[in-house]
Amino acid sequence: MGPLLAIASNTYREAIRNKVLYSIVLFALLIILVGNFLADISLHNDKRVLFDVGIGLLSTFGLILSVFTGTSLIYKEIDRKTIYLILTKPVGRAQFLFGKMLGLVGSVYLVLALMFVLLVAQSAIMGSGFHPNLFKAVLLIFFEVIIIISITTLFSSFSTPFITGMLTFGIIVIGRLLPDLKQIIIVKYQADSMRELADRLLQVFPQLYLFVPNGHDFNGQYVSITAEFVTWGYIGWTALYAIMYSAIILLIAAMVFRRRDLT
Amino acid sequence: MKRDTDRESPLVITDLKKAFRTGFFKTRKINAVQGLSFSLEKGEIFGLLGPNGAGKTTTLKMVTGLIFPDAGSVSVFGKPASTVSSRRKMGFLPENPWFYDYLTAREFLTMAAGIFSIDRKVAKERIETLLNQLGIAHAADLPMRKYSKGMLQRAGLAQALINDPDLVIMDEPLSGLDPIGRRELREIILALKKRGKTVLFSSHILSDVEEICDRVAIVARGKVREIGTIDSLLNMGISGAELEVKGDEEAILTLAGELGLSTTRSMTGYRVGLPSNTRIQEILGRFMEAGIQILELKRHRHSLESIFVERSEKAQEEA
Ligand SMILES: Nc1ncnc2c1ncn2[C@@H]1O[C@H](COP(=O)(O)OP(=O)(O)OP(=O)(O)O)[C@@H](O)[C@H]1O
Ligand SMILES: [Mg+2]
Repeated sequence: MGPLLAIASNTYREAIRNKVLYSIVLFALLIILVGNFLADISLHNDKRVLFDVGIGLLSTFGLILSVFTGTSLIYKEIDRKTIYLILTKPVGRAQFLFGKMLGLVGSVYLVLALMFVLLVAQSAIMGSGFHPNLFKAVLLIFFEVIIIISITTLFSSFSTPFITGMLTFGIIVIGRLLPDLKQIIIVKYQADSMRELADRLLQVFPQLYLFVPNGHDFNGQYVSITAEFVTWGYIGWTALYAIMYSAIILLIAAMVFRRRDLT
Repeated sequence: MKRDTDRESPLVITDLKKAFRTGFFKTRKINAVQGLSFSLEKGEIFGLLGPNGAGKTTTLKMVTGLIFPDAGSVSVFGKPASTVSSRRKMGFLPENPWFYDYLTAREFLTMAAGIFSIDRKVAKERIETLLNQLGIAHAADLPMRKYSKGMLQRAGLAQALINDPDLVIMDEPLSGLDPIGRRELREIILALKKRGKTVLFSSHILSDVEEICDRVAIVARGKVREIGTIDSLLNMGISGAELEVKGDEEAILTLAGELGLSTTRSMTGYRVGLPSNTRIQEILGRFMEAGIQILELKRHRHSLESIFVERSEKAQEEA
């Protein structure tokens, strides 16, 4: 076992044993149950609503979990001084950040997978069956989680959980509303140079809307799990985008963290 | 490679400096370490002594790469402390070690072994040995948030030894341990030395330092104020000696007066103060000639404590 795996697996272990995580998971499961039940009775067993609500909840809880657990990921290591026991061993700081991130991604994935199983089981019980597009939707959620956790890794390596939480939340909102923001800019700024500048600025933010196409007009086409959903090619591209984006964020985090005094 | 490290000193610290900036606008500057140097010889037990705030922890953090010096250099087996590989043969026990709440000692040690890429089977055996040796085997599968202070200290030492390090660095290893724990730790340190390991630790507990250290450095206000073997420090400027004598009272008093020595009454006879080393032979001879019985000759030595206090106060005055 190398340093990366050692750190990742222990971060994972520590995370899934945390009582706070349990309560979030329990809450999420409860909401999925109740939400789907309500959707079920109010809309006469419309399987589209069940899937839409279920995937929507999964996506939201993916974000909540990532932010909640990610805000203290590095901060807590420094604050509780557990980092003294790790970085005084032969492991680089970038490797440490990457290991922490991987471990947390793993634990969030576990929870999401659990929720997904529950969703599928529930839809089976309600006679809605299974739709292969659900897999694609879950994959997109998984990709978004990587981006969010890389962002919290960056922020939590130099700021408090509160600030990390606020910043990440802001980025999530902007990232999900990017197409709308772009629209606003086009309307608001007539001058090309200004528009270009604003456009550039927005490009810094992660294109999180790419990961929630379900139930929206997307690239001029309505996509939904139960109807025409995104292609496998699209899934591949978003995967690549998520990995590239997180890699850059992690690189920045590593540069910030490299020479930091851990007092 | 191997021969290289054999030749290299385990640790060379040269003119190390570190200042912390505090306050809201980072305007207040605290010079924690200001030009500290010393080096270790292979196989020795070295004690870093100094009052609170002397800069011991700051120094050890620079040695282990947790913080970066403003000036000066640290080299561990010939490698700069900023490199990852400098930590390969090192084990570090931080001051009051903290662990992950939800991990057990066995899990933590397994991870520690993983970071060193130690072979699984070797790691497993070593973990068992360390858990037993440090007396925490009974709690090996308990989450560490349930550990007592002393147990955390022991677990901390176990993780510091997981890679069978050639250089073991410990910050206040005796704090939090009961007398039995302290004795055990002393034995562990001595056993490490016997196996050719080099040990560096900081401490306040002078008796322990005196007992096991080959050399000590007294640090105050971020500088080494005194360095040497325990004996050389203790014998530094012996303040004199004392003679316990018995015999005819008048003979003792006249002889003492003649030699210009002070006397005090004691339980059995008289205690005669001897001012310096040089005249001891002569004085002893005179007393014996006078038929006075000599019960005991005691040399006054500086205690480590008095040196510690004196050097610390002197550093304080200089500042
Ligand atoms: N992170 C920090 N920020 C500001 N000042 C610091 C920091 N760490 C240490 N100092 C200051 O540096 C000086 C040296 O502290 P250090 O912890 O190295 O002392 P020490 O010799 O280990 O003391 P002790 O015996 O109490 O552990 C102290 O004045 C301390 O207040
Ligand atoms: Mg200290």
